[in-house]
Amino acid sequence: MTESVIRNKPGMASVKDMPILQDGPPPGGFAPVRYARRIPNKGPSAVAIFLAAFGAFSYGMYQVGKGNKIRRALKEEKYAARRAILPVLQAEEDERFVKEWKKYLEYEAEVMKDVPGWKVGENVYNSGRWMPPATGELRPEVW
Amino acid sequence: MATKVVDAAGEPIPTSSVLMSSAKHIEIKCMSENVEFLKCKKKDPNPEKCLDKGRQATRCALGVLKDLYQRCKDPMEAYVGCMYYHTNEFDLCRKEQQAFEKACPLD
Repeated sequence: MTESVIRNKPGMASVKDMPILQDGPPPGGFAPVRYARRIPNKGPSAVAIFLAAFGAFSYGMYQVGKGNKIRRALKEEKYAARRAILPVLQAEEDERFVKEWKKYLEYEAEVMKDVPGWKVGENVYNSGRWMPPATGELRPEVW
Repeated sequence: MATKVVDAAGEPIPTSSVLMSSAKHIEIKCMSENVEFLKCKKKDPNPEKCLDKGRQATRCALGVLKDLYQRCKDPMEAYVGCMYYHTNEFDLCRKEQQAFEKACPLD
């Protein structure tokens, strides 16, 4: 019943004469739709991109080199200072070592005084060089 | 506490910050004694053989410290304090270093 109310044409004889109600294009059709590719071909060329990347890289490496020079200068300053005070510290340690070594030699002489053929005092290696004592302890009174 | 350069009797205390602060002066003024000591050590590493040269080197270095302290007390104390605070990092004490080297210039 509703169809005939909606699609009514005045003066129709039967239901079979109702006009067709369809969803379709507007009169004259739709506007044309572009579906073709339009990728532009402008912008930097390959050579330009390569040169820009190479330029950025070399600028960065140049900055790295400059920074390394500065850092090396700082390290050299520290090492030069250490080299300058090395003799003072080594001389201090030598004095302390000589005192301790004399005490140790007296102790060894006392302990080994009854052993025949023990060349009291030094009994180190045969190469002739002086080697530091291999007790495994650095400063016995500290440890 | 550890930033004092001299003790009560006026003798310099060779702590690490004091030595590192005056290292450039010691390097210049005690060059010959240090080189002699190192040559002696290279020849024979036995400590008993190089005791006298070591004493000369120590005497020279302590003399340099005392001389620096007498000539420019305040810049030296400031520099030593800064080095003590920053554990002997030269780059963190540039201001005090400039003031110290202006007051007691390297020869």
